[in-house]
Amino acid sequence: MGLFILRRFAVMILTALCLTFVVFYLTNLYPNLEKVAKTQGSQRMSDVEVSTWLASRGYRTMPDAQLLAGARSGDVPREEFSEAITGFDARLFRNYGEWLGLVPGYVIEGADGTVRARCAGHATPDEATPRFCGLLQGDWGYSTVFRNDVGGIITTRLVLTGKLMFWVMVLMVPSALLIGVLAGMREGTRLDRSLSTFSIASTATPEYVSGVILITLLASSSGWKIFKGTATSAAENATFENFFLPVLTIALYGTGYIARMTRASMTEVMTAQYIRTARLKGVSFRNIVLKHALRNALIAPFTVIMLQFPWLLNGVVIVETLFNYKGFGWTLVEAAGNNDIDLLLACSVVAVAVVLVTQLISDIGYVFLNPRIRIS
Amino acid sequence: MVKEAATRGTVHPAAFMYADEFREGRLSRREFLARSTSLGVSAAAAYGLIGAATPARSEAHMQPGGTLRCQMQIKALKDTRTADWSEIANVTRGTLEYLVEYNNDGSFRGMLLDGWEVNENATLYTLKVRPGVTWNNGDPFTAQDVARNIERWCDKEVEANSMAGRFATIIDPDTNKAIDGAITVVDDATVTLTLPRPDISLIAGMADYPAAVVHENYDPDTPNTFVGTGPYLLEEMEVGVRATLVRNPDFQWWGTEVYGGPYLDRIEYIDFGTDPAAWLAAIESEEVDMLYESVGEFIDVMDDIGLQKSEVVTAATIVVRPNQLSEFDGKRVYEDVRVRRALQLAVDNAVCLELGYGDRGRVAENHHVAPVHPDYAELPPVERNVEEAVALMTEAGMMDFEHEIISIDDDWMKNTTDAVAAQLRDAGFEVKRTILPGSTFWNDWLTYPYSSTNWNHRPLGVQIWALAYRSGEAWNEFGWSNPEFDELLTQALSIADADTRREIVARGEALIQQEGVTIQPYWRSLYRHYREGLVNVDQHITFEHHHYKWAMAA
Repeated sequence: MGLFILRRFAVMILTALCLTFVVFYLTNLYPNLEKVAKTQGSQRMSDVEVSTWLASRGYRTMPDAQLLAGARSGDVPREEFSEAITGFDARLFRNYGEWLGLVPGYVIEGADGTVRARCAGHATPDEATPRFCGLLQGDWGYSTVFRNDVGGIITTRLVLTGKLMFWVMVLMVPSALLIGVLAGMREGTRLDRSLSTFSIASTATPEYVSGVILITLLASSSGWKIFKGTATSAAENATFENFFLPVLTIALYGTGYIARMTRASMTEVMTAQYIRTARLKGVSFRNIVLKHALRNALIAPFTVIMLQFPWLLNGVVIVETLFNYKGFGWTLVEAAGNNDIDLLLACSVVAVAVVLVTQLISDIGYVFLNPRIRIS
Repeated sequence: MVKEAATRGTVHPAAFMYADEFREGRLSRREFLARSTSLGVSAAAAYGLIGAATPARSEAHMQPGGTLRCQMQIKALKDTRTADWSEIANVTRGTLEYLVEYNNDGSFRGMLLDGWEVNENATLYTLKVRPGVTWNNGDPFTAQDVARNIERWCDKEVEANSMAGRFATIIDPDTNKAIDGAITVVDDATVTLTLPRPDISLIAGMADYPAAVVHENYDPDTPNTFVGTGPYLLEEMEVGVRATLVRNPDFQWWGTEVYGGPYLDRIEYIDFGTDPAAWLAAIESEEVDMLYESVGEFIDVMDDIGLQKSEVVTAATIVVRPNQLSEFDGKRVYEDVRVRRALQLAVDNAVCLELGYGDRGRVAENHHVAPVHPDYAELPPVERNVEEAVALMTEAGMMDFEHEIISIDDDWMKNTTDAVAAQLRDAGFEVKRTILPGSTFWNDWLTYPYSSTNWNHRPLGVQIWALAYRSGEAWNEFGWSNPEFDELLTQALSIADADTRREIVARGEALIQQEGVTIQPYWRSLYRHYREGLVNVDQHITFEHHHYKWAMAA
């Protein structure tokens, strides 16, 4: 068991490394860096200003001094200049090392004469500035969008998303299991048909559709104004009024899906030999369902529920944006929209961790639910 | 006519002339106020000159205290002079005040300046510092502070310092700093600006949003902490989430005696993203009391649900322009004036206003000077002429060229650009529309071959020309360079008298039209919705938030 968990963690670290490098490469493509420079410096910077801005802050190698002078005076045409500065820069590998904390952080004297260091928060370093500052040193970097430490942002936002997910689970799991068991215990009845129709319909409706419909019907003056169409204030003070709609929107999709799984598993169990035996022995239908069928029928849904966690991370992106709830999903959208490199990398690490940890839990949980399976 | 008590020192002679023009009906009240106050006449004196009483403010209905929640995008703060969004300045304005304040009636009034005088050919500005102002760390506010801030604005070396454009006249092109001796501290309460050539737009420049006045210990690297002279403090600032201004408890604000206020205890800005539907949801579910701006079809929806509406007519606009420098397979298609003229002639501006902005504004004439500008000269109306457009395009040999028109993915800018594209198609031109999300659109807004851009209101018509139409200017998105126009503009910027200036402006307007620089279809009205029970929270002509005026109704 210990070895199994250890191996899982090794896989997790390897996956995280690969994924973060891909993200790192993509976010460090020149057009993306240009976006960073313009959102942080000014929307209206020229190409030359952008290139020196980037080089002064360690994103890229400083362009040749002659080339810069040429572009400034207009001797080098715009196209030639942008061709010269936008290509692949081998500094990428070094920067990735700096982010990991394996390579000392840069200390660069910029075009404006200011000395900047990664480990001094991209400002002028002093004696107290450490040489290394990366993941290994516990430094997640600095978010260029939110102007804050990534570690702090991710924690705050994950807690908020955790709150959302908790209530989604509270609503989704019991209702899904109930619907699935009720539908699956007597296959083909009217109850089964109507519950199945409901679950298929809710699974087939993506959040961005159901969310909009729910807001229009339940939170605007064109329908009934029962709830609030925005969940911004739920971050500090969640009430039924401002938090129910986002929870319901995410839960609806998952409910249908888990209910379908539970129903399938339940109908299969209900046709098994031992259920027929129990019925022949005269056990009441209620006892058959609760004592004999349920535990076996829940093995498959358990995996599905665990797999819902990583999926929920995706679902919250849409719902949090729609309802303006400032959690992890919303952070991810903001980070991606503004090419916030450090924040995006941290988001990917978190995503990898969530996926693999929930898989681990689901594997271990399986053992307890199904004694026939042993983890070697 | 002029009451001695209402004027400080001497009234600029041109102001009397303007007053005569107003009485003769040649000037509107708004134009009169904008012109005379920019010459250093106080608003009260200006109203006095035309025999009108200063509008009373509804102070009786206001109660002190309260919290106001306003929807607004919260963008990261940066060095004040490089601020590129009004939202940034609105967060700092509670603390960092301005020398001069621009108001909806077109007038300028002194904030940290008690008054100013401009000599007859606008080469000598005498700025009088308001006495009795203190920074919130206890330091007195003096002429040194004013001089230091103006020097700060003149530092062209700072990347993206847009104040340098507004103060270009007193910047030495060799050192990229203020000209030696241009800014003089005469005594503790007086600063003079000596200009090498006349410039009439300096006072307006001081009122613009990047012109926040900062303390000498202000560090642009930590833009969230600052010492200011204003009555509020920035308590909380989380980009994309919220910003909170609170009343500075133990601070005696200078303005209480002069202008009254502040009334509110707390102002909370909450970010609801860029989607107007989310803003509607926010105000409908009572999460905010007031919107930053109401746009498009949502204006009608919000009227219907019983919110209060405030409207202001501005010189804010959109330009749908080709960039003359952009190349297609090595050929600069839009360098040909016939192509540009053809594009312009194929479009009816009134249609753009109707389809793009729901008729909430006024049709414009493709030259970017508005009737609300004091130097506006009326030209013959522009009309759609498809036949001539096609003839010109054929003559240029560009009938089969495909024009790709790029716009941002929003509401009115997208619709207006669509309206232009549709009319070009109707005229028989090949058009492709590309819509980019807001996060990527602004990367290259200056260099797109053909795209639309929104432009905020500015108090004087020639100001926008100086920012965007002069050759080689940083924001010249048209790629237009015309020595004749530059010459006209330099002349116009040196004439304090708007009547004389108007003759030159008229030639500039005509030149921009003839050159087909841009389609500039209409002037926008701006709207804001707010819940009942708020006082003095009207939409501002340049989106400024004057927090000290806001209050809850008693």
